[in-house]
Amino acid sequence: MANETELTGASLLFEVLKQHGVEHIFGYPGGAIMPIYDALYDSEVDHFLCRHEQGAAFSAIGYARASEKVGVCFATSGPGATNLLTGLADALADSIPLVAITGQVATAAMGSDAFQEIDVFGLSLACTKHSFQVTDVHDLEKVLHRAFAIALEGRQGPVLVDIPKDIQLAKVTEERGDYSTLRNKVKLPPANVGSALALLTQAKKPVLYVGGGVGMARAIDELRSFAKRTGIPSVSTLKGLGAIDPNDPNYLGMLGMHGTKAANLAVQECDLLIAVGARFDDRVTGKLNEFAPHAKVIHFDIDTAEIDKRRKANVAILGDLKVNLPALEIPLTIDDWQAKCQQMQAYFGWQYDHPGENIFAPAVLKEVSDRMPRNTCVTTDVGQHQMWAAQHMKFEDPTNFLTSGGMGTMGFGLPAAIGAQVSRPYDCVIAVSGDGSIMMNVQELATIKRFQLPVKIVLIDNSKLGMVRQWQDLFFNGRLSETDLSDNPDFVMLAQAFDIKAKQITKKHEVTGAIEEMLDHNGPYLLQVKIDAKENVWPLVPPETANDKMMENT
Amino acid sequence: MNRYQLNITADDKQVVLERILQVARYRGFLINGIHAQVNTKNSVGIIELLVSSERPIELLVDQINKLIDIKSVKVDNTVMQLESA
Repeated sequence: MANETELTGASLLFEVLKQHGVEHIFGYPGGAIMPIYDALYDSEVDHFLCRHEQGAAFSAIGYARASEKVGVCFATSGPGATNLLTGLADALADSIPLVAITGQVATAAMGSDAFQEIDVFGLSLACTKHSFQVTDVHDLEKVLHRAFAIALEGRQGPVLVDIPKDIQLAKVTEERGDYSTLRNKVKLPPANVGSALALLTQAKKPVLYVGGGVGMARAIDELRSFAKRTGIPSVSTLKGLGAIDPNDPNYLGMLGMHGTKAANLAVQECDLLIAVGARFDDRVTGKLNEFAPHAKVIHFDIDTAEIDKRRKANVAILGDLKVNLPALEIPLTIDDWQAKCQQMQAYFGWQYDHPGENIFAPAVLKEVSDRMPRNTCVTTDVGQHQMWAAQHMKFEDPTNFLTSGGMGTMGFGLPAAIGAQVSRPYDCVIAVSGDGSIMMNVQELATIKRFQLPVKIVLIDNSKLGMVRQWQDLFFNGRLSETDLSDNPDFVMLAQAFDIKAKQITKKHEVTGAIEEMLDHNGPYLLQVKIDAKENVWPLVPPETANDKMMENT
Repeated sequence: MNRYQLNITADDKQVVLERILQVARYRGFLINGIHAQVNTKNSVGIIELLVSSERPIELLVDQINKLIDIKSVKVDNTVMQLESA
């Protein structure tokens, strides 16, 4: 027998959020979502007022990625909703479970070009896993439960629920019906384990290609056990970083455009590539028809549509990695291959002996990584600093490295760090940003101030849009078009304006002391690290080029 | 350019047709024709979608199948044969 209670649509929303364990929400109020913000006033949920809806969406993403919970964000209709969309696109590209609630003009006004009206339901089609527009308050409860289920089921993703203002105000009886939210609940054909085992046992030079799906499936232990038992050398995508133990002797680092030389050479030479929760992204493969040219492929994924999308799989293992990975866990005799990979890793290791007094960003990030407390969560923005962080920092879990992988969204890092810090108040959170990226959502410094979040910001500052400048130098004959940022604000003063302690360093000898000071500081801290504008990210596989033909620093 | 007919069944839910058309366009398929009707008794929609593309049809089938409200997607091979005859 259902337990029935009369509520408004807005207060019903909070009842459902409570049932899904939602404790924290990121959002920004406005006209068409006012009944929901009125109901928030009486709610137990903690709302974090961001200073832009895009910041709210990225904070919800950071929250979800750092905590493995569903992130929730609110925005009003029209511009509030459109400001959320970049965040939803980011969450879709990186398969992040998000429930976004938007206010909408009242149903009677819909379709009349009303004030702050936009067809966000239509706009959502390309940037959400699914979306709903509630036009009958009696559908609201079911729709909200469904939204959480869809966000988590199978390949995770963002779900938008658009709620017109009159639906928020309408009276409704809560049904408290049965609902289920089962992570990875999908119907898939049984895994072809026999064929995969045959390929494994025949392989002389296998490589494990680890993607973000491992973390999303919470299959870290199963992956590490598989890697250890089989002894297969492994490489990681950007989003897969942290899944493999970074100190595993058979781990070769990130592959792809800015991957390690050892990782890319091993993949190009391998005779069996075992893709685990990875999707053969163009930044990983380089020239697709020359990627891993000698390899047969075993492809583990939960998304049927990823199989054969970019690279034909010899064997596809569809379903939950936690179940499927152990089925292939057998010891292999590949000593010579392991030894070769380890030799490559040692021979092509990173060099930090940078000449001169100017600060070398890779060395700074390595030192931050070496000194940061265990279980620190690092977020990044997008650009050179992002690739340096991926190359030179070590992460022991994918929830400790949050970066915009698929969408590559500048402005991600600072609000994502806010979300991460809210979800893990006792862990250190460091946002690694660039002087271009930080300005994309710099208003979120106000959110840090308001909630006294002890987020640390390492701002790698070359007064350039560094990655674009690098490409202009390398591939556009040095024609530096619109990449100069030498008129940036004084970042130390800017941080101080938000009551955030800040310091600028310009020389190598200042690095160690500044990192210690930042990490020892109890509250938020911005460390501005001035670097040479001409530093490039190496290695670099040029576009449409095979991964073994990378450009290197000479 | 290869031409295909997809026979799709879907729950009669909000904007399901828009979702199918958006996916077809985004994944590189030209929409040559569409016929859709809803069985109001069981709220199931039946959609016949004629598309053409250089890309393999499996790409589109997999992506439409991912849509939440889709029940089934089948390629009508008889139509393909007729088009290529």
